[in-house]
Amino acid sequence: MPGREQKMIRRAVHRTTRILAIGTTVASPSFLAAQDADAVFRTPDRPSLNFYGAAGLIDMPSGEAMPDGQFTVGVSSFGGQTRTTLTFQAMPRISASFRYSGIDGLDIDGRDTYRDRSFDVRFLVNREGRYLPSVTVGLQDFAGTGIYAGEFVAATKNFSGGRLPGNLKATVGVGWGRFGSSGSIGTPFGEDRPSFDSSTRGGELSTDQWFRGQMAPFAGLEWQLNDKWGLKAEYSSDAYDAEQADGVFDRDSRFNFGAEYQVSDSIRVGGYYLYGSEIGVNLAMQLNPKRPASALRIAAPRPYDVRPARRVDPQAYNGDWAASQSGASTAVRDALVPLLEAEGLVLVETKTTASTTEVRYTNERYGATTVSVGRVARAMARVLPASVETFRIVPVVDNLAQSAIVLRRSDLEALETHPNASDALLAVAGIDSAAPNLPGGAHNEDLFPAFNWSLGPFIEQSYFDPDEPVRVDGGIRLNLSYQPAPGWTVAGEVRHRLFGNVGDTDRESDSVLPRVRTNAPLYARGSDTMLRRLYVNRQWKPAPDYYARMTAGYLEKMYGGASAEVLWKPATSRLAFGVEANYVKQRDFDQRFGFQDYTVATGHASAYYEFDNGFIGQLDVGRYLAGDTGATVTLEREFDNGWKVGGFFTLTDVSSDDFGEGSFDKGITLTIPVEWFVGRSDRRKFGTTIRPVLRDGGARLSVPNRLYDQVRSGHRNSLVGNWSGVWE
Amino acid sequence: MMRVARRVGLAVVAAALLAGCGSESSTQQSLAGLIGGTLKQGVDARRAGRPAKVVVTPKMLAETKVAALQVNPEIAGGSDFLQRVATRDDSVPGRVEIWKSSDNALVFLRNGVVVGTRGVGGDIISADAALTVRALANRASASGVREYILSDGDVTTTRMQFRCTVTVAERGSVTVVNQRFNATRMQEACIGGPTGDLRIDNEYWVEDSTGLVRKSRQWVGLKSGYFELILLKS
Repeated sequence: MPGREQKMIRRAVHRTTRILAIGTTVASPSFLAAQDADAVFRTPDRPSLNFYGAAGLIDMPSGEAMPDGQFTVGVSSFGGQTRTTLTFQAMPRISASFRYSGIDGLDIDGRDTYRDRSFDVRFLVNREGRYLPSVTVGLQDFAGTGIYAGEFVAATKNFSGGRLPGNLKATVGVGWGRFGSSGSIGTPFGEDRPSFDSSTRGGELSTDQWFRGQMAPFAGLEWQLNDKWGLKAEYSSDAYDAEQADGVFDRDSRFNFGAEYQVSDSIRVGGYYLYGSEIGVNLAMQLNPKRPASALRIAAPRPYDVRPARRVDPQAYNGDWAASQSGASTAVRDALVPLLEAEGLVLVETKTTASTTEVRYTNERYGATTVSVGRVARAMARVLPASVETFRIVPVVDNLAQSAIVLRRSDLEALETHPNASDALLAVAGIDSAAPNLPGGAHNEDLFPAFNWSLGPFIEQSYFDPDEPVRVDGGIRLNLSYQPAPGWTVAGEVRHRLFGNVGDTDRESDSVLPRVRTNAPLYARGSDTMLRRLYVNRQWKPAPDYYARMTAGYLEKMYGGASAEVLWKPATSRLAFGVEANYVKQRDFDQRFGFQDYTVATGHASAYYEFDNGFIGQLDVGRYLAGDTGATVTLEREFDNGWKVGGFFTLTDVSSDDFGEGSFDKGITLTIPVEWFVGRSDRRKFGTTIRPVLRDGGARLSVPNRLYDQVRSGHRNSLVGNWSGVWE
Repeated sequence: MMRVARRVGLAVVAAALLAGCGSESSTQQSLAGLIGGTLKQGVDARRAGRPAKVVVTPKMLAETKVAALQVNPEIAGGSDFLQRVATRDDSVPGRVEIWKSSDNALVFLRNGVVVGTRGVGGDIISADAALTVRALANRASASGVREYILSDGDVTTTRMQFRCTVTVAERGSVTVVNQRFNATRMQEACIGGPTGDLRIDNEYWVEDSTGLVRKSRQWVGLKSGYFELILLKS
């Protein structure tokens, strides 16, 4: 019965009675996914990992690159040496690794176990072809204190078919540094390679040693017998000089052998016999952000009826129902509220004329904004009278209208079943900046005041203490928030620590700067019950392309004070600018209401740019917590499904001597949407930042509710990435 | 989708069918029962293995007053009965019918050829089936390119192209419950996809007098494999 629901609004307007809730139960479909349908997406030539957690043989690298976007975690151990490595194939040809290693018995800093962090980069020079091998140039531990420093050029070629079952892979290469320490054949690029010096602070690029000194060849074979089993053999060019000198293990041979087993699509384990004396193990996990751990299944949208053709039913197109704009808007609001609610969406306000309806809503369910846009569009198509041809759909995040997605209803009706439904709709959709408010609209009066609370566990980690590489605190947290009016939030979090050892370290800060971050252990043992945050936040849009925020209170674990931010970000622009100014005072170690004496005015001017292929660059210039001035450069790659992997570094006027270990602040960031794991609609994200060393130079305030990330999910670049969600 | 009816009493299935065209409140009443059943069946199914197809009896068919499509998913097993909830005439040849399952998943059929699914998982967001639609309409062989846009399961899609050949396999008849139709069996063989070697084999029984696809076995994406579709009542 076409138009049955649409007529309801007409009736509602005429009778000015409330429309009965149109019941909408969304059942979760019960169709189970096939067990192994993903096989098509498998990457047969995905390389296996070596003991350094990067594509390679056993202890030697290979000439291969991972599939684009691949994210791997490798844990290996042999001869008292344990290496844990994260590797990310940031671009088809460029990968980067971060490694944390421990060497039992290497006497460098007076401890039983020498621990170090290292970074690698690799560049794929040539992709494997019919005749030519894949060739990679790599820099290992290129910027740290350099225990694993080594450079290499490696070539790898696959052979399969013929009488040999499975696939055989041959690798040859030459290496310098660690990879040139055994079986050297000369020093083609100079002899003047400085030796490993653990007393340096690290962090600086060791350009003076790259490809210098002794060069040695290495080689190996990998025979993948079938889908599960693989065998490896290699000739290593690593003499393990430092380890031999301290008796870490006995290197009796240059040959290594191993067998590997593919446990699942992502996990591979291996056992090895290394250097004629040691048994080793390697555990490798490979994920690809583009392939969700469990496929998201979104409940199907409810179908709507297309309008009758105007020539068939001209009366249906009569716009009289909207003669009173406020009456019509109210009726539309009342019709849409339950429909959106059934989809996990909250109508904020709506305004209609006979031809155009704007709906402002908040998405509380779907990770991708486009899915919510599609649901709103369908709900509108179900209930709005036929004369409404233009849908303006405005996603709102806490009083910030992100953008206006403008759809013609005829396009929506005509393209849902079109062979190219997504691209065709995108081509005719408008995405524009949204006005701050909707004057004359019908508000959802049930929204304010709003009170929310949640109780749950918390985990807080501290990494890379030489005495205890991973320290963890855990307990329960209570979050409360109260929203008296649009854009106003009073929020707080109380934590109670139940267990943990973050504060147990006896390492005192040796910082010569104001101790703005290195007092972390003092905060950790300050008290068990703490007020993590308590603040008042107000955010609003001063103009269509501008966003503003003011926050005051206990902003984070270590600081309280006031913060203000303004962001310029047109909905269709890749570029954004922001300014943030804060005046904060250091909190007491017990994290209750008191403050210490240290105060600082800190703030930044920021520029953001969305490059192609999901890369987002950010430059922040300003004054940091210790009063130092400088800039932070951040580069992240964001996948369409919300996975984000990135890195940052900060250079300030603090000298590397004053900064201390690491020379400057740097780290890597990782964000994974919960949806990616659980396969159900969920807006939460798991995020972490890993810093090799946390020092006082280049430290930033951690203010809640920074604007850029709040705003961007509804802007053009993000919407286009998963536009197909409009139809899902 | 579609595991729902597997062990639910046939009466419940019939009730869902008989609920009629879009009286939403009554549809929901029966849904509530069905959803409750679904959970239980999920557990039962794990214990008992793959659920069996439902065999429709002439009596059930006689009691069915509205358009009905039986869907038997091959991988998941079981059966479900879909109602037609909308039709669309768009700019592309063929009329699209939107069919809704008992748990609200949707299947889009363009003249009987699957061109979309929603809520099934790994859904077909859209598909170009012009080649097949034309071949079935003419009951004549044809070959060319077909395209599917499939959901990757993270609100992104993969476009898959296939080279397809539709051939006339048999001119005879097809039986649906107790109805017998003079029909032509058409086969469609496709190869392509992301690695170039993914095979699809679809089969259609096209009624000679009306051109309706009375029965078919069609690919519905990587996750779901094949569905058998039986048009019980048009």
